[in-house]
Amino acid sequence: MGDFRFLCARFPHLALVVTWRRHPELRTEPVVVGGAPELRLPVLAASASALACGVRPGQPLREAQQRCPGAAFVPAGEEEVARLRTELLARLYRLAPAVEVGDETAWCDLTGRHAAHPDGTGWAVAIARSINELLDADDIAVGVAASRLVAEVAARQSGSRRIRRVAAGEEAAFLAPLPLSVLPLDPAVAARLAALGLDCVGAVANLSAADLQRQFGPAGMDLWRRVRGGDGREEWRPGGGVDQPGMPRQLGERIVLEGGTGDLEALRFAVHRCALELGDRLRRRGCRAAAVTLVCELEDAEPSGLRITPLQPPGGGAELWPVALELLAGLPLTAPVTAVRLEVTGLEPGAGRQVDLWRGGDAAGEEIGGAAARLRARFGGTAVRRAELTVDPGDLPERRFRWAEPVAVEVDGDGRGRRASGPAPGVAREPVPPGTPAAVMPALRR
Amino acid sequence: MSTPLSQALATLRRRHGEGVIRSGDTLSGVEAWPTGLPILDQLLTPGGLPVGRVSLLAAAPGASGRLTLLQALAAAASRERVAVYLDLVGSLDPGYLADLGADLTALLVVRPPSGRWGEGLSMARSLVAAGASWLAVALSGAEPGSSPRSSSGWEHRLSILVESVATRRAVCLVSATSPPPLALGHAASLTLECAADGWEEAHGDVLGLRTRLTVVKSKVSAPGETAVLLLRYPRTFAAAEAVGRPAVVDLPLTAEATDVPAAAAG
Repeated sequence: MGDFRFLCARFPHLALVVTWRRHPELRTEPVVVGGAPELRLPVLAASASALACGVRPGQPLREAQQRCPGAAFVPAGEEEVARLRTELLARLYRLAPAVEVGDETAWCDLTGRHAAHPDGTGWAVAIARSINELLDADDIAVGVAASRLVAEVAARQSGSRRIRRVAAGEEAAFLAPLPLSVLPLDPAVAARLAALGLDCVGAVANLSAADLQRQFGPAGMDLWRRVRGGDGREEWRPGGGVDQPGMPRQLGERIVLEGGTGDLEALRFAVHRCALELGDRLRRRGCRAAAVTLVCELEDAEPSGLRITPLQPPGGGAELWPVALELLAGLPLTAPVTAVRLEVTGLEPGAGRQVDLWRGGDAAGEEIGGAAARLRARFGGTAVRRAELTVDPGDLPERRFRWAEPVAVEVDGDGRGRRASGPAPGVAREPVPPGTPAAVMPALRR
Repeated sequence: MSTPLSQALATLRRRHGEGVIRSGDTLSGVEAWPTGLPILDQLLTPGGLPVGRVSLLAAAPGASGRLTLLQALAAAASRERVAVYLDLVGSLDPGYLADLGADLTALLVVRPPSGRWGEGLSMARSLVAAGASWLAVALSGAEPGSSPRSSSGWEHRLSILVESVATRRAVCLVSATSPPPLALGHAASLTLECAADGWEEAHGDVLGLRTRLTVVKSKVSAPGETAVLLLRYPRTFAAAEAVGRPAVVDLPLTAEATDVPAAAAG
């Protein structure tokens, strides 16, 4: 589960908070948010006293009126809710580096240490106070744990205005006495577990991974992990990081060689200059390149070029130079070279990037996914794979599984970003078509 | 009073940082990854496979249980972290890994297209450098296309991999036939020799294989220790009795044998 700490805060629906701000007199009354009961609309949120009468979110408003005739029915102020959500997000961003805000739940990343709140408890208290100051609601419950799932369960188990902390390594013990309904389980799996007489998390946690996998197939591993407090790895999708705005799609450097030359040492010198200049620009922008292209413009002949997907994306001159040298060594030169140009494409943030915290992954998972994508781009789709068990295996052992990509990689045109690390899969080195435009390269003449 | 030695130490600390020179008694011991199998952890003092080092499972050609043990440990690792299985033999059956309890979503299978060891080792090195902290390598008997007189350079890739494993504090377990290649034998901090010790049968059925493990080389503890494990084969389709049956049967079959669950889950 790693050394992560997640905070989950549960509070009244933001639409309800907006209603209370508009009509303070309704704080003690049953309130149903969604609109007038004559409208064919569902209930968006309801106050605690309305919920006690049997009103549920998603219910038709008319049915809600039948269940709670004395409730005040108010429309949902969508704009005000959006404004409040943004305000809450801004407040939490001042306290935590990664934040997710929903209508009834907020998540914060408490991994590491906060400069002003070195104590983890103090940090959680500061966040809870900040939420309370903004929403001015009594029933805010907070849970802190090493996984998102356990933090949410802890928040649900916590009382109003209380913080429930689950110490690292005690997730399974915390979950063990709770009913299975606290876990997000597939209804079919839950029904089958109930039929087997397994009614609490601890009873399932006593079973081995292999047993659960035999019984439930791929869902068995998720179940095995969840009962121990882990997040669902079916959502493990490295590569969903937030792109930095304003990132260029590619960069290039070009050096013109007066009169043309076939001297390898002179070419080496020119490519070295290109690599250092380009590496400097990459470093200044804080990005790294998924693919590197070297093109030599030839005298009275079509340009000759090669593209490569480096196994380690270069982010500076020192890393770019060996890649460029490798390309130069593999480039066929049939005529004197008049200019060399070095291009880097598929630029992605090199460091300090917002990681994809909220999909059950982590920064290390993203890095591994990126490395696997680069290997597939360079060595082919069969180089790195993961296996998936098939739902209906049949009789033959080889039909029990099928091969799948290690990560969900989305490839766009030029291999931009982590979701598209490199050129088209299966291509180790691509010759650049003759006459490729210099694109956005500045025409440096030296 | 400052001596030339203390001056030199002060200069080095000022230039390279406080932690560059430390006395031997302040260095931490070898970190270990517990396998979850008590008898194996006891054999692999200090408590499991050494972290940041290469360990080697070697066995003579024939049934010895080394690949099953490698896969059982990889399966256990996949349940707690992203594990990489470098399959240079080309015979990996993921269904069998699933029977061993592997989390297949967290297990990356690497197969170099050319089958060359060097290519596979550099691919594995990329994943280790990216953060994959558990690496299983199944080596074939000999590198395809190689001859005893020529070297394809895989030894150099191995040394780079060893460096990455040490830097990233990864666990690396290599399975090879005996005698292992010289470079691999040198690179490994721990070498376990596997040998079949007989089949385990009940009611005419083969339940598993008894494997005798001997620590023939260890840079982290004293070599020479021996233990016998029972590698119990998983029963794929025995679903009817699966739920409720404990996977770890902690009943030694003999005085010196203990049960290695095919599914080393607990």
